[in-house]
Amino acid sequence: MSDPRPIRIAVDVGGTFTDLQVLDARSGTVQAWKTPTTPEDPSIGLMVGVAEAAARFGFALDQVGLLLHGTTIATNAVLQRQLARGVLLTTAGFEDVLEITRHVRKELYILDPDPFPCLISRDRRFGVAERMRADGSVEMPLDEAAIPGLLARLEAAGAESVAICLLHSYVNPAHERRLKALIEAARPGLPVTLSSGISPEIREYERASTTVLNALLVPVVKDYLDRLARRLEIPPPQPSPASGGGGAGYAPSPAGGGGGAGDAPSPAGGGGRDPRAAREGGGGAFDPLVFLVQSNGGVCSLATAAAQPARLLLSGPSGGALAAGRIAALLERPNLVAVDMGGTSFDVSVVQGGRIGVVTQGEVDGLPVRLPMVEMRTIGAGGGSIASVDAGGRLTVGPRSAGARPGPVAYGRGGTEPTVTDANLALGRLDPDYFLGGAMTLDMAATRAAIAAKVGTPLGLTVEQAAQGILTVTNANLGAAVRLSLFEKGLDPRDFTLLSFGGAGGLHATDVATEMGIAEVIFPREPGTLSAHGILYSDLVQDLARSRVLPARPESLPAIAALLGELRAEAAARLAADGVAPEAQAIELGADMRYHGQAFELLVPWPEAPDLPPLLARFHAMHRSRFSYADAQEAVEIVTLRVTAIGRLPKPAATEPVPAARPALKGSRRVFEDGAWRDVPVWDREALPPEDRIAGPALVEEAFATHWIGRGWEARLGAAGALIASRASAPSAKRIAP
Amino acid sequence: MTASSPLGPIEIEVIRNALTAAAAEMDVTVWRTSRSTIVRELLDYSTAVFDAEGNNLAQSARIPGHLNSMSHLLRELLDRWVDPAAWGPEDVVITNDPYCGGQHLPDIVAFKPVEHEGRRIAFVGTLCHHIDVGGLAAGSYAAKAIEIFQEGLRIPPVKLIENGVRNEGIWAMIRQNVRKPDLLLGDLSSQIASLEVGAAALRRLATRYGADGMIEAGARILDMSEAAIRASIRRMPDGVYEFTDWLDDDGIALDVPIRLHVRLEVKGDAITVDLSGCSGQSTGPVNATLASSVSAVMFAIMTACDEPFAANAGCYRPVTTIAPEGLVVNARFPAPVVHRVAVTHRLLNAMYGALHQVVPDRIPAAYYGNSYVCTFQTIPEEGPRGVLVEIEIGGAGAPPGKDGVNAFASGMHNNSNIPIEMIESGLPLTVTHYRLREGSGGAGLRRGGLGLVREWRIDSPRALFTANMDRFVHAPFGLAGGGAAATGRLTLIRDGVETPLPPKSDNVPLARGDRVRLETSGGGGFGEPARRDPALLARDVAMGYVRA
Repeated sequence: MSDPRPIRIAVDVGGTFTDLQVLDARSGTVQAWKTPTTPEDPSIGLMVGVAEAAARFGFALDQVGLLLHGTTIATNAVLQRQLARGVLLTTAGFEDVLEITRHVRKELYILDPDPFPCLISRDRRFGVAERMRADGSVEMPLDEAAIPGLLARLEAAGAESVAICLLHSYVNPAHERRLKALIEAARPGLPVTLSSGISPEIREYERASTTVLNALLVPVVKDYLDRLARRLEIPPPQPSPASGGGGAGYAPSPAGGGGGAGDAPSPAGGGGRDPRAAREGGGGAFDPLVFLVQSNGGVCSLATAAAQPARLLLSGPSGGALAAGRIAALLERPNLVAVDMGGTSFDVSVVQGGRIGVVTQGEVDGLPVRLPMVEMRTIGAGGGSIASVDAGGRLTVGPRSAGARPGPVAYGRGGTEPTVTDANLALGRLDPDYFLGGAMTLDMAATRAAIAAKVGTPLGLTVEQAAQGILTVTNANLGAAVRLSLFEKGLDPRDFTLLSFGGAGGLHATDVATEMGIAEVIFPREPGTLSAHGILYSDLVQDLARSRVLPARPESLPAIAALLGELRAEAAARLAADGVAPEAQAIELGADMRYHGQAFELLVPWPEAPDLPPLLARFHAMHRSRFSYADAQEAVEIVTLRVTAIGRLPKPAATEPVPAARPALKGSRRVFEDGAWRDVPVWDREALPPEDRIAGPALVEEAFATHWIGRGWEARLGAAGALIASRASAPSAKRIAP
Repeated sequence: MTASSPLGPIEIEVIRNALTAAAAEMDVTVWRTSRSTIVRELLDYSTAVFDAEGNNLAQSARIPGHLNSMSHLLRELLDRWVDPAAWGPEDVVITNDPYCGGQHLPDIVAFKPVEHEGRRIAFVGTLCHHIDVGGLAAGSYAAKAIEIFQEGLRIPPVKLIENGVRNEGIWAMIRQNVRKPDLLLGDLSSQIASLEVGAAALRRLATRYGADGMIEAGARILDMSEAAIRASIRRMPDGVYEFTDWLDDDGIALDVPIRLHVRLEVKGDAITVDLSGCSGQSTGPVNATLASSVSAVMFAIMTACDEPFAANAGCYRPVTTIAPEGLVVNARFPAPVVHRVAVTHRLLNAMYGALHQVVPDRIPAAYYGNSYVCTFQTIPEEGPRGVLVEIEIGGAGAPPGKDGVNAFASGMHNNSNIPIEMIESGLPLTVTHYRLREGSGGAGLRRGGLGLVREWRIDSPRALFTANMDRFVHAPFGLAGGGAAATGRLTLIRDGVETPLPPKSDNVPLARGDRVRLETSGGGGFGEPARRDPALLARDVAMGYVRA
């Protein structure tokens, strides 16, 4: 039986462009499309992009079965402070924890520091008389007599959303839940986020920060999802079981997630089962199942996103990391270090043994988010990073950036300080007449003048030496970031392949790899829409956690088993609510563990739970590999138990792309390389046949990116249209500048 | 670029960044592997890279008071205590001795040389504040010591590891003399692991640039920082500037304030700081050795410079510090020194008071100027005792252009706090309050940041409490007409009765249900309070930052 809705679309809404990738399950073809983002309402651009892609690639909207949507709506709302007016309720006496933060400063030598960001000001943080102990027992019951007064204060504060974070609620959420019930009874419709619902983990500041972010995002994300639902003509999101512990404030409803009621068939159902059969109005209209990309590298239903929008906060890197994971599988390179270099930042993520690294906490704009996220190291280095020379004669590159405005000098938009992009242009690595596929012309004369004035003259270097110097310093900084990302895990760069993407990455990848002792670099197809490609192959992933500091000893097993039982049941309920068929469900268990007295935990997979010996053995082994020591005699604690519920979406195979029928060698360009101007061949990525070999130095161009194949490297086409560069020989001894 | 040099400015910057990355890798190693709360949550440690002569080349972003003292210590070791020729690449030297160039006994510093092709090219060093090194009081922060022998185990510069082999005798001697040996030795192991990580990073770099290249680069990196600092000093008006601030007392002679006087002379591109006007050394532990005092002087001048610089020993060269021995800023053996941080905080306050006259548009009013260190030792009916060391902070002084930050780790230290839920999960203690202290910031055109209130309750049958704090009499000053901040307060609450506790107290016996409340100073205000924007004043009242 053929699938009446064989089209799957991944949409990644970025700051400038909305990237689409369209997979047709019948033919296995994957095609990319780009359309301008509509910042005032990104769902407009999304729909425009879908319609354009349908026209361009020849499918009908009613053939679209699945729409996977990456969005920065939550992140942008925080960065721009377009948030709801919130109130925070805490245990009385701890109202200021949110403002006190952990108060360690990052800049040592400045005299006029800015405060740490704090999203709810002191006049909207209210204490509640109550107290739990660390063991979950009640020291002071919730003072319900004070509730009427509290409600009046909520009213007076103009609360649009309420965050509740009480001490030790990760052990015993009773007071938080009771408070929520009382508020909802008196103020129906006022959204309430409980810390025990969104992030039931120990450490009050980090939990409060996460809870506040969620609360302030609930109305914002709900607005967006309602607009999206209207455009898609699907019912607006209703609460999922994710809110059961106290996530969102929508009116309760027995209905499940975006997939419809709990008995709806699975979007993940295999065996030719039509995932759309049970849905009403399934014929004719654009009516796909919609999932949103989360920070953890998986997708979630609209209902989950509406209840727990903080889970979307760091979803930006998810697409890239997902793509890295998929490329690792397709190209059989289980150890990949993926670098995404854009205009202002350089993001590093690691695939180890075929798995994407996930950590239990991230940060947005200096605010901690205690939720699982794809592990990512970001440094402020990109095409727009500014090079300058200080009074001591020191050349620095970044972290100041020219950004998009004024941008590099080459853009001719008023930039006067030379950037990394300017250095690439001055050396001939970028074509002034073919930037962004010819959409923009670059100003070579202004660029050379700025490099001479700001770097060359102060250091006594020629323009070429100065530009080369900017790149050398930049590549060393990028290399250091990659090294630190691997180092933190006790990994050796020589065991890794570098995966380069993002608009600016291709010009630096082979040089950074040389710097690191990495022998292979992969340039995936369409590096500018790679995140959308990753999203295309994502799964539903729900993370649940519960903190309880317990010795990792047999006497703790009853408590552990009880907690795991609760978490498993909740995970199964959530998958069922999202309409995942049993055969497509998977549940993974893990524990955050440490030696007694340590501050930070290791997340240890625990497939054999609740059998302790294999868990302990894995913990000691992981500890040794990451931290170079382990002590089997030392007391070990479990701090947090984790359950990951996975709903596998089908993964239709993709066909190999066909090279364009035109000459692969476009010509050559004068490039300053290895101390002299030389003619360097320029290749057309889209026309490259598999048998061609590109010997560095060479340039490879495609519509939205240029790749530099350094001296000593040889590139060829590999699986999935990826360009694979290998270092032909050991790097030559360091050349000393004349 | 000189014609004779094989290294251009590009290579120098690449090497400099690589050295900083090495210090960062060492930092990550300590952070991830240490065991005690003081390292693991308070982040009281630092890592750094030095040249073959002991000059600091690169630092981690940790504790300024540590970072700018380690060079002094290493030079002292090389000059007087360890035969440089016999210090091999597999030898780790440790010490905590203030009278061998260190600061105070809880800070154990470990150094290791790095060789390439048989030549010494660098040192790597790690400093950790350890949770307890014995002595009068748990946490080794005794307020009533009158000689260093009461302050804990004094470790002279010794090779803890020689030719790659650990000296088990020293290891055992440490174990036998401290209250929490597993935590201390665990943290010490982290320090040693971080040294190896740093050394490996430097050896990697040396395979590319060679021993000569590394040594040359180190010299040039120091020269560049020196040039940047000199360029900034050159723009400062020449002259002599003086300022005095006060420490309350030394914990022994309770009515005798301690004078911190600085006489700062700016001349051309150099500064001379004369500390001869400071009080003589104290009987109690409010004393500093030269390593500590010089780090405060250097930090003040580095922060007051408006030229970007890389923090390293090159920054120190334009500055000469005069500090005769026998003063509170250069204490003579065997004076107790554990509260040396009080001296450095106050010295920094005084330096800023003088620098305000030099660059008035840059210098903030006084921050709280104090590390609020206190220790709870919980005593159960039976079984092991628990130790909690807390280091709290206060408010930042208002800079000329904006308000001071509430509850902000400022000046010489840079500590995190410990999550309340972590404390309560591990020890029989309950934190009953943690909030901003209303009205504690100095008034002014720019308001000083607020201090904190933190209150603990004892849940064990008995406990011992030790505190070592200051600014309970002499408030953080305002500048340019700004008001002073509130002074600190420490209170015992027993059976509903509040009694002031002396801020320098040892082993105060506490019982179940007793509460201890700490109220910390805010920062001073900047500019006349009458000039403050009424809208900002109204906001301060609405937020409860000031009392209406």
